[in-house]
Amino acid sequence: MNTQAVVTGIGVVAPNGIGADAFWKATREGVAVLDAVTREGCQDLPLRVAGEVRGFDVSAVVEDRYTVQTDRFTHFAMAAADQALADSGLRFDEEAPFDIGVVTAACSGGGEFGQRELQHLWGKGPRFVGPYQSIAWFYAASTGQISIRGGFKGPCGVVASDEAGGLDAISHACRNITRGTGTRAVVVGAAEAPLAPYSGVCQLGYEELSLEEDPERAYLPFTRHARGFAPAEGGAMLVVEDPRHAAGRGAEVQAVIAGHGATFTGASRWAESREGLGRAIRDALAEAACAPGDIDVVFADALGTPEADRAEAGALADVFGKRAAKIPVTAPKTGTGRAYCGAPVLDVAAAVFALRHAVVPPTPNVTDTCHDLDLVTGRPRPAELRTALVLSRGLMGSNSALVVRA
Amino acid sequence: MSKELTYGELAALMKSNAGITVDAGLLDGHPETPFAEYGLDSLGLLGIVGALENDRGIPIAGDADSCKTPGAFMDVVNTSLKAGV
Repeated sequence: MNTQAVVTGIGVVAPNGIGADAFWKATREGVAVLDAVTREGCQDLPLRVAGEVRGFDVSAVVEDRYTVQTDRFTHFAMAAADQALADSGLRFDEEAPFDIGVVTAACSGGGEFGQRELQHLWGKGPRFVGPYQSIAWFYAASTGQISIRGGFKGPCGVVASDEAGGLDAISHACRNITRGTGTRAVVVGAAEAPLAPYSGVCQLGYEELSLEEDPERAYLPFTRHARGFAPAEGGAMLVVEDPRHAAGRGAEVQAVIAGHGATFTGASRWAESREGLGRAIRDALAEAACAPGDIDVVFADALGTPEADRAEAGALADVFGKRAAKIPVTAPKTGTGRAYCGAPVLDVAAAVFALRHAVVPPTPNVTDTCHDLDLVTGRPRPAELRTALVLSRGLMGSNSALVVRA
Repeated sequence: MSKELTYGELAALMKSNAGITVDAGLLDGHPETPFAEYGLDSLGLLGIVGALENDRGIPIAGDADSCKTPGAFMDVVNTSLKAGV
């Protein structure tokens, strides 16, 4: 990236807060909101603990037509996009609709909507399946609806590269800006809604899914009690922008997206993710023109199985050498669960706030680590922060790293 | 023969199948105003035709799902309902 794209707006719909301010306050304080799964139809699943977005009033944030025509994951994305746009102060210019694009990532899709229509299919017959089934369930729905609703006709895309796609989408958005074809801003991010019966059943096949019943013990990465991860719903959307355009309109630059790297090492091959994640980190550092010594804080992927955690700690050791044990590492998602593609975007949002407020948020529910890492636990840690590294891996084998600079 | 579709029913179908709120009197008073102006897209109209067919228990003949205006839609639907095919 020659000209580095900047973040000018953040919107969040997360289990620990709706709205960026509420999210950051809870994240900074390490509030743990993992809890029993209460969403309709999920009570009989062996999945007991997850991060639910509660108190989300869809009718207050999107028009009726979208509540009828789209799935919960798109409602989240539209709400977060609205927040991000308001935060950025970016005004839509009717004369230049092609200057703003939309990119989202997804790996769960509209399972709740799709299940309802499939129940109509098998319960009543094909004549009872609504036509919006053709668009509501699939991964591209959120990008399309945000584009249509906002009138954004610039480069639009959908990244389906597994959980780490949340970071890949940000990189893709930045490339749309920095390749110099006139794109001024991109609304980018990911939100997921995997806490519905059909989607829940799909996840039961993941051996990394934690079936632990105690919310405080369900997701404890980097510890001897690591037993997998708790899933979550929600996510975040950002406005990333050409820095010259942002400066021209007097927008506040919240952070710079400085570099990205991505690799693929195969589904659940966690030992091999060590090398893949290491390479992604090196590529992100190279693109950001950063030395390993420049990284002040790491937002870890923190998958939560012993093998995956060992691989991540190993990747950090491979890249940072002895300093790996001295860089503050945090995993705020232990308090909320992993919202699949939404998870790394939430981490990027948290990283931007951490840089701005000079504090590393803690890793909720985790009190100690069995790895040679400086894992921030218990309470927020004040620190001079200029550059953050955000890591993400997907269950299907993607590994990504993003460098965010103040 | 099935009883005629009213603008009130059409407004209710637009609400339930596409989430679009529109006053029945407005549809009745301006039958030539395109569905698109109310934000109803082709998928929404397709869903309305399907719901109507399921409700009445008979297929609607003609190209009801490609009608551009409420007036044209009512004509096609009610011609079909009258014929009772």
